[in-house]
Amino acid sequence: MLFETILTYPATPEIFLLGMTCIVLLADLFIKQQEKKITYWLSQFALVGTAVLVLLLYNVPSTLLFNGSFIWDKTAALMQFAIVAINFFILIYAREYIRERKIPQGEYYLLSLFSVLGMLVLVSAYSLLTLYLGLELLSLPLYAMVALQRDSTECAEAAMKYFVTGALASGMLLYGLSMFYGATQSLNITEIAQVTSNLSSGQELMLIFGLVFIIAGVVFKLGAAPFHMWVPDVYQGAPTSVTLFVGTAPKIAALAMVVRLLIEGTPALVHQWQEVLILIAVLSIALGNVVAIVQSNLKRMLSYSAIAHVGYMSLGLLAATPDGYASALFYMLAYALMSLGAFGMLVLLSKSGAEVDKIGDLRGLNTRNPWLAFMLLLVMFSMAGIPPMVGFFAKLGVLEALIGAHMVWLATFALVFAIIGAYYYLNVVKVMYFEEPEIQYPIVNRPIINVAISVNCLMVLWLGMFPSGLIDLCRAAFAM
Amino acid sequence: MISLSAYLILSAIVFGLGLAGIVINRKNVIILLMCVELLLLAVNTNFVAFSHYFHDIAGQVFVFFILTVAAAEAAIGLAILIVLFRGRKTIDVDKLNTLKG
Amino acid sequence: MNLAQIFTDLVFFSFAAILVGSALMTIISRNPVRSALFLVLAFFAATGLWILLEVEFLGLILILVYVGAVMTLFLFVVMTLNIDVEEQRSSFVRYLPFAIVIVAMLVILMVYVISPGHLNPSELTTTGGQPVNYSNTTELGMVLYTDYAYPFELAGILLLVAIIAAISLTFHGKGNNKTQNPDQQILIRREDRIRMVKMQGDKK
Repeated sequence: MLFETILTYPATPEIFLLGMTCIVLLADLFIKQQEKKITYWLSQFALVGTAVLVLLLYNVPSTLLFNGSFIWDKTAALMQFAIVAINFFILIYAREYIRERKIPQGEYYLLSLFSVLGMLVLVSAYSLLTLYLGLELLSLPLYAMVALQRDSTECAEAAMKYFVTGALASGMLLYGLSMFYGATQSLNITEIAQVTSNLSSGQELMLIFGLVFIIAGVVFKLGAAPFHMWVPDVYQGAPTSVTLFVGTAPKIAALAMVVRLLIEGTPALVHQWQEVLILIAVLSIALGNVVAIVQSNLKRMLSYSAIAHVGYMSLGLLAATPDGYASALFYMLAYALMSLGAFGMLVLLSKSGAEVDKIGDLRGLNTRNPWLAFMLLLVMFSMAGIPPMVGFFAKLGVLEALIGAHMVWLATFALVFAIIGAYYYLNVVKVMYFEEPEIQYPIVNRPIINVAISVNCLMVLWLGMFPSGLIDLCRAAFAM
Repeated sequence: MISLSAYLILSAIVFGLGLAGIVINRKNVIILLMCVELLLLAVNTNFVAFSHYFHDIAGQVFVFFILTVAAAEAAIGLAILIVLFRGRKTIDVDKLNTLKG
Repeated sequence: MNLAQIFTDLVFFSFAAILVGSALMTIISRNPVRSALFLVLAFFAATGLWILLEVEFLGLILILVYVGAVMTLFLFVVMTLNIDVEEQRSSFVRYLPFAIVIVAMLVILMVYVISPGHLNPSELTTTGGQPVNYSNTTELGMVLYTDYAYPFELAGILLLVAIIAAISLTFHGKGNNKTQNPDQQILIRREDRIRMVKMQGDKK
């Protein structure tokens, strides 16, 4: 009986993850430095258990819990599963890296588990209060993780920049939330949606005023133009194992914030936020793709590519149709998968003393390890949007949604910049295959890591060839 | 009596000063952190004022949590600041320029 | 206009003036210690305003937790780091127009948004006032552990994260103190420590 309740209680994944994290915290205290693998396995167990619970709960109908501040729906389920699965891979990739660089392992695993918990909370938050708390629970561990490599001043600098921009973004977001509260007299998204469907002009003005600040805060967190300044610095300065963390799952969680606040909270103001999103999308796509071309640092290039990808994702949102939202979600999931592959590859290629972060460091990767080179080729093709990779279908989806919403000029603009953007991805491929390596010795990794990266990159190909399953899941998330 | 708008304008001024402080203080990260505290103070004043005029406790609960989170945030921010200062011996924002593209 | 009303106005405007003035001094003073102290003053002024709004519990929390703990931490860090106060402020003048524009724009927007034509008049003037035996603390406590139990748990986790993060960032561990390690001292060889340098002798 109790077991049945647990398996139908929608907050079980969060509770399980919190319990396991506390166990990891206590266990890590008593484990010697040489036996940190116990911490690692416990953390992985926590993630796998959470993922299983999310899967078991997938068919539970939409429920509101905790006085309406927590929602369980298909959107939350899909995003939570993606977040937990991605973090499972991240820990596999990061393990060797952090051990070789003397980054405190226990703390790395713990903080990342807490951050994952924050993402889960954010994804299923349904009041302004839990939304804010989830966002902070996501961000605070990340700030600390960036600075965790204590002997590196670059990391500390990146962490400081990340922290100040992040705190500023929270401030802006909160100011907007206070205006929402002032206009609607409620913190609950259900009630806010009810109030906004029937507004007086004074309330509407206040809501729009708040909306501007909220969007500014969200754009900061998503890392889209014009508030993108921190993205390249943090991506480059953080240890690659942390960049891997910052650049993947939190983006999905930030998308959830947009979904809750704009799409579900203020559908009545769709025309207002649509216009702001158009500006953001255009700026991000143009700036991301153009500036990425001149980068010689691979992490920096990928960070500008992240800005561009967030721009493409918001194209789906601003189409303001269920299909558009589904395509935005699909784009985000696909991007998180590709980004996981790309940064994961950088982590695997970086051996102690020989950090791989310049594009030149990939020279002749094909002769050093043909299989890894091929995997990276798949990811790069996918990011460039070349069929039959998943990136192609993601771009196709948002463009279709745009055309469906009669915004052909925007679709054309996006297409032109996608072609410009293809240049720098293909440049990486060229460097890998057609240039002579500087170092000859082959790259050897532990078999489990090779399996993980292969699964990751082949998923990019497989989802590209058979995208319909994931597309259906995304559509189900936004079925009205 | 004092109207709600007086409070809202007051907090808008404080929020603006906080934002302005972040723009003009390029010499000292610690003052940047204080400016963030000013932003949060303005937000809290907003919530408190709304909560009073609506007779709704929810706004005050929100302020309670913002205070908690801000304390946690300040702790982490200052910890990062110490790590940074140990390595660089400066907290001048303009001198933090190892990361450039 | 009766006396009580004049008194309330007086309290509001004096605290508001202190708040704005000290916020301004926080951002323009050169010395971080002074900035921190002005911020403390700003918090005190805000507390006054909050108590005027019958939000006593949070007002006191602001002083106890904020001034008592967070600002003390700030001052502590400022003192520990021993940052030399740089006097030249070339950037200050450069960014000042920006700053003025930001404040002016926000205030004008705010005034526009809440100008009486826009906001519901009933929202502007409900003052009501609570009954004499009203306890703000009780009311907050009643909902905090019931309706807001979930956020309360989350806040607890956040504080735990802050503890872990702050300790893991600043604690250097046992291996980092300066005790001598006899094993390594014994194992030292002459070649590791002494390098023979051929000097050119004096010509004279």
